[in-house]
Order: sequence, then structure tokens, then C-alpha cells
Amino acid sequence: MNIGKSVIIKGELSGSEDLTIEGQVDGKIELKQNILTIGPNGKIKASVFAKAVVVQGEVHGNITATERVDIRDNGSVDGDLSAPRVAIADGAHFRGSIDMQKGGMKPTEVKPTGTTTSPSTPSPVATPAAAAVSAGR
Amino acid sequence: MPGLFKWGGRKEDEPRPAPAAAVPPPAPEPSNTSKVLPKVLSALAGQPSPVLMDLGPVVGANISFFGDRLACKFYVEDFFAEVEQHARAGTRDQLGAIFATRLKYPAGSIDGILCWDLFDFLDRAAGYALASRLVPLVRKGGILYGFFGQKAGEISQYTRYIVDTDDSFRLRTSPATPMPRTVHVNRDLNKMFDGLAVTESVLLKNSSRETLFRKL
Repeated sequence: MNIGKSVIIKGELSGSEDLTIEGQVDGKIELKQNILTIGPNGKIKASVFAKAVVVQGEVHGNITATERVDIRDNGSVDGDLSAPRVAIADGAHFRGSIDMQKGGMKPTEVKPTGTTTSPSTPSPVATPAAAAVSAGR
Repeated sequence: MPGLFKWGGRKEDEPRPAPAAAVPPPAPEPSNTSKVLPKVLSALAGQPSPVLMDLGPVVGANISFFGDRLACKFYVEDFFAEVEQHARAGTRDQLGAIFATRLKYPAGSIDGILCWDLFDFLDRAAGYALASRLVPLVRKGGILYGFFGQKAGEISQYTRYIVDTDDSFRLRTSPATPMPRTVHVNRDLNKMFDGLAVTESVLLKNSSRETLFRKL
């Protein structure tokens, strides 16, 4: 299933098949048993829950995956990652926290205090300008 | 039929295609042996699920390395992005104010801070501002790991430290807006990181001092 470049979704997106997003989604995405691919043109401002998540585009929000998160070259994530396996390619941009729950161990929860952009993104979030500079490093 | 054998070939009066641009070979990434890195790892290994903060840009190999070794939680702050942004704009003197608005973590909540060589890129005031934010975040027994250049001059490249093994890392460089390196001698470091103690300090061949601080 593909969501094309010109499609904008605001709200909750859920399903039980693999999905590729090239458009824009603001809200929440749940594909708990499936693979979500955010294509090079995809722009996501959402909390994401999936079996596996591949990021080639831009994500602002937290990603939780039961298997793995894979941020590819030129992919950009500002938010928190939680998955047993996380792969981040050279050239990818990431700012936030990474929680790899090994063997069921639960790391100590540490949340930044003070102002955050939204209740669902507890880590300090990058400014777009900072993210753009970082991607060029 | 002389023309038959020319199908698909280039006509004599056709301009020759430009040769494909040669891709420059990647810069060599020499491996460096570290005497300090094993101590960083052993200090963190004492915690069941340590919390690490990386002030540099994300390096996938390091996330995997520390994740495998320590099952840790990682915070990636990437302050080099701010440094580059302000170096381009000629506003490096504003970096200190930025540090005051970031790093809003509870005191004593971080087991290890990986600074890499960030402080070389900060002017003295910004360096002190950042250090004063970092020190309270380190829990008792926690560490701060950094590299501090000892040779004044202009820096025109960033360095990513890619940890390969428990006692070695590679250096990967990328271009930076040129800026003067701030040299912090030992006395400066002790003052800046007041509250932490230098437990290891090794001068490397590149005139950088690999330093491990610990909150005692």
C-alpha cells in the first residue's frame, strides 16, 4: 500500500498491511504487525507504532517498533526511538533519545524537564535550521 | 553497407561525451588505539542500564557499539549542528545562550556524557556555559569523556569518532566553516568542570588530550 506524494492525512492512520508513505501525515500511525516505510518525500509529524520502521524521509515525533528502526542515508528523525534494534546510516540526521530494550531490561526513565514541544515528545526537539545544518555535515 | 556497422555507434561529427566526474576516494580513516576508552566502558558497565548523552552528531556504529556493550539508553544532542549554524552566521558568541535553553534533564540523571572534541569549537564563554550545564547532570560515579586540542590554530573540519572496539576508534572528518580552536589547558579544564575530577588524561599524536572526568 502506498500513500502518494500529494496526499496529506491529519489524524490517526492504522492498518494491517505494510505501508509506504511518500506524502504528509500529522497525527498518529499504528501498524503494529507490519512494516512502515517513510519514503524520501514522506513528511511525518506523528507518533509512530509499527513492527518495523524504515525512514528515508522526515519524521518529527516518537517511533516505537517491536522489531527495528532503520534510518537510512538522508533520513531525518527528531524524536525518541524505542526498538530492540536501531540502525542509523551515515548521512542520516537524528536528534532525540534511543532506547534499545535488550532482553526485557528497562533502562531508567529519564525525561528532560521544562518546556517541550508536545507531551508526546519529551526530549528536546531540534529546530528545523539545526536539522538542516546537521544533515549537511 | 558501410553504415550498417555504425548502428548505435557515435557519429564522427558528434561531440565526445564528457568523461564521468571522478568520484574522490574516501579519506583514509586511520585506527587509533585508546587507553582511555576501556576505562569509559568499564565505568559505565557498572550500571545495569546506563544513560548516555552524546553531544556529537549521531554515529550509527557508536549507537550499535554502546547499545550492544551496555544496553544503554542514548540521548543524542548534536551540538555541532548549532556550532556550524552559528559559525556560518558569524554568531558563535551566542552559543552560550543556546546551551542555557537546552539540556533540560534532571540533575544526576546521566551516567556518561560523550563530548568528543566539541569544546575545541566553543569560545571560552560558551565552553564555560556548557560545562556548567553538564556537570550537574552527571550522577555520582558517572563520567564525562572528551578530547581537548592543545595546539592553537584554525579548525576547518569536524571529526567523528567511530568506536570500533573496546580500545580503538577511527576518525572520520567532514568540512567545517573555519573557526579558531579554543585551547583549554589542564587548569582551564579543572575550573570549567568544577565538580568533576580528571581521572585519565592522555596526550595523543594529534596534540589532542583524551580526557576522562568522573564525578566522585
